[in-house]
Amino acid sequence: MFALRDVQDLFREGLLGELSPALIDLVEDDGLDPRARLAVYRHHVLTTLTATLEAAFPVVCRLVDSRFFAYAADAFIRQILPAGPCLDEYGAAFPDFLATFEACRQLTYLPDVARLEWAIHRASQAPAGEPLDAAQLARVAPADMTRLRFVPNAGLAYLASPWPVDAIWRAHRDESQALPDLYAGSVRLEISPSAEGVRIRSLHRESFAFRDALARGNTLAEAVESVPYLDLTGAIRSILDDNIFDTFTMPTEEDA
Amino acid sequence: MIGPGVLPARAGIGLRSGHVSELLASRPPVPWLEVHPENYMGGGRAGASLEAVRLDYPVSLHGVGLSLGTAGALDRRHLGRLRTLVDRLDPCLVSEHLSWSTVGGAYLNHLLPVPYTEETLAVVAEHVDQVQEALARPILVENPSSYLRFRHSSIGEPQFLAELARRTGCGLLCDVNNIYVSAWNVGHDADAYLGALPAAAVAEIHLAGHAVNDADGRAILIDDHGSPVPPPVWALYRKALERFGAVPTLVEWDANLPELEVLLGEAQTADGILAEAAHRQGHVRAA
Repeated sequence: MFALRDVQDLFREGLLGELSPALIDLVEDDGLDPRARLAVYRHHVLTTLTATLEAAFPVVCRLVDSRFFAYAADAFIRQILPAGPCLDEYGAAFPDFLATFEACRQLTYLPDVARLEWAIHRASQAPAGEPLDAAQLARVAPADMTRLRFVPNAGLAYLASPWPVDAIWRAHRDESQALPDLYAGSVRLEISPSAEGVRIRSLHRESFAFRDALARGNTLAEAVESVPYLDLTGAIRSILDDNIFDTFTMPTEEDA
Repeated sequence: MIGPGVLPARAGIGLRSGHVSELLASRPPVPWLEVHPENYMGGGRAGASLEAVRLDYPVSLHGVGLSLGTAGALDRRHLGRLRTLVDRLDPCLVSEHLSWSTVGGAYLNHLLPVPYTEETLAVVAEHVDQVQEALARPILVENPSSYLRFRHSSIGEPQFLAELARRTGCGLLCDVNNIYVSAWNVGHDADAYLGALPAAAVAEIHLAGHAVNDADGRAILIDDHGSPVPPPVWALYRKALERFGAVPTLVEWDANLPELEVLLGEAQTADGILAEAAHRQGHVRAA
């Protein structure tokens, strides 16, 4: 008799690939082919996960049409399954997958459009940012300032692309606008949750580098180092105004 | 055992994201609501909406992701997130499914079938114990919709559920549509199934619609929650109420989500049948 774990391993293999004779043999054959019975489960797993990806990447789906999207999603699902049952968290690896998916290699902007959609998807679920405590920040001793680290809002993301992905996304979000000039130049975008929904802002090179470095967990000194010509006072004031960081952490003894 | 007074013995609806805004704006007089906790574990805006809903309605959490029948360990992170949500919402009930969906750290997004063996019973009972300990409350376990039977199953499904309830103290969630769908698909007797469930353990009933698909020229019923409750399921529901008494009932609708009003209408139909059953039982008790 098969142990439960063996049954589940066979089931997983069968749902994502070929049905093995061992799996077929486990299923009662009462006149309806066990393969038809197992196909019900396979169909559900693949269609619901494809629908999950479509919901997270609607513009990518429009750009490639739904049949091609389903084809790409099918290949992705068979490679990378959700790590857990919260399906809003499934799809983070889809943009990188598209970058390596031979069948859409000529759509060079597609992975970055997908990265933008994933950032929008995550920001749309996160709570809008609360103001960082400026008074508490003002009390930090000058000697400690350079070693501060800022904690980004859930849903904050930075995306640099050689393609005008924000214009592509806006043009296809409601299918009413023509495709923008693909060679309009690179963009540096900040995606964050806001009270109205999701805010997508185009940033200058310095501001993008500074904020991106802070969001990645670098200290203030490290972030400044990556941007030599930065107006530091203005840059700090603007991150306070934009509510993109929830709080900051003080340096510890180990940092000193 | 979860007392029947925790949730009203009335008919509620499964609340889906497409209806949340309308429900919060119109506050219809539906007796209670059920949600899938997996849709609210990230906190954020969805979590805030659910907290607003909870202020005005009794809420039940109906999980789809614990994978009670998985051969390995439970996903401790997921259980921790469920506990956080339970602490935040204080739901009237918490329920899960007799199924598995996780193997080797991968989630297959389906309520997959388990063979009904002594090994599976021990695995599921241990997992139910762990969940009940973590949540500090009993849970309900729902009968699955089946599309196949394992040849090496040695225990009947309702007998398996009865023994699970006896060993762990969990309650049962009797999904009447699932009984109907499974009876058609794998050839068991729906009335006998109802008769084999331990009546005292059944603390909630689910109702839903199903699709009829073709599989190699033979009809197979798919539990897609995508249409009104069909007449044979209403008929089986009446029998379930005769057996279990007037227990809280929920109408689920997931695919092809209709207007909220349509779903509320289905719940009102169930409510009427529940009221008749309660009335009849009152007469029986008085006699």
